[in-house]
Amino acid sequence: MAMKVNGLKKKLKANSFNSNNGLPFILGVTDSESVKLDFDNTRFKTVKYWAFRTMKWFKLKGFIILKSSKNSYHVVFDKKVSWKENVKIMAWVCLLSQHKALTKWFLMQCIKEGSTLRVSEKKEKPQPRIVYRYGSQNNQIAEFLAYRKIVKSIITKLQRQKELCTPTIKTLT
Amino acid sequence: MAKKIAVYGSYEAKVRVKQRYWKMRKDGIKQRYWKKTKRTKTIEQSGRYEFYGKGRELYKATIKAHQYMPKGFVHVSAKKFLENPEKYGYEGEWIEKEIES
Repeated sequence: MAMKVNGLKKKLKANSFNSNNGLPFILGVTDSESVKLDFDNTRFKTVKYWAFRTMKWFKLKGFIILKSSKNSYHVVFDKKVSWKENVKIMAWVCLLSQHKALTKWFLMQCIKEGSTLRVSEKKEKPQPRIVYRYGSQNNQIAEFLAYRKIVKSIITKLQRQKELCTPTIKTLT
Repeated sequence: MAKKIAVYGSYEAKVRVKQRYWKMRKDGIKQRYWKKTKRTKTIEQSGRYEFYGKGRELYKATIKAHQYMPKGFVHVSAKKFLENPEKYGYEGEWIEKEIES
């Protein structure tokens, strides 16, 4: 269903209504016990390097890399840590990598006292998908993926509900 | 601490306008008070819900979140939010705008 509108505000509303996702907001997973990193505008090679270096330095057992959009990646580590330790690890990566976007993201997570990674689509960006796995996957990664599955099922249900609610106009030929 | 679902974005909502007024106290000091008027104004801001709880409650809370916009940063159990959504958000509409996670 397409909406024809005038004006910027109405256009923004219409865009959210017409987007592929069907959700006007973004859904993500938040927690304080698993180490997460958000690399925007970074090559896969660099992300992998920092994931390996962090895992080895802090003995984090294993990690997964999710591709969120072109040159944007999320990293989730397997070891369960306290929030204090989590902040320590994230700050270490920010300081050594001197990554501006990661540092900005890190500061925001400090304010919230929990790190969030996106699960749903965001404008033209698709849902993040796993592109690389390394080491142990049984602890925090398994929990993260289970929760991600719940969020994904919620998204699917909402999309199905939206499809049922929106009338489809068929043209007879 | 358990994992939570974050529902976030920008929204437009109509909120009651507050009006200030002064009242003379017994000790002679002018005290400022605020009262809610019937007038409303449209505000555009960003907000976030952090829901925790069981799967079904989370799903229902996410549906409710379509209608009720968060009053800033709202950290609440999905069950409590479903019982009293007006307490945690005002009625409005979500709009698509660039927002950080």
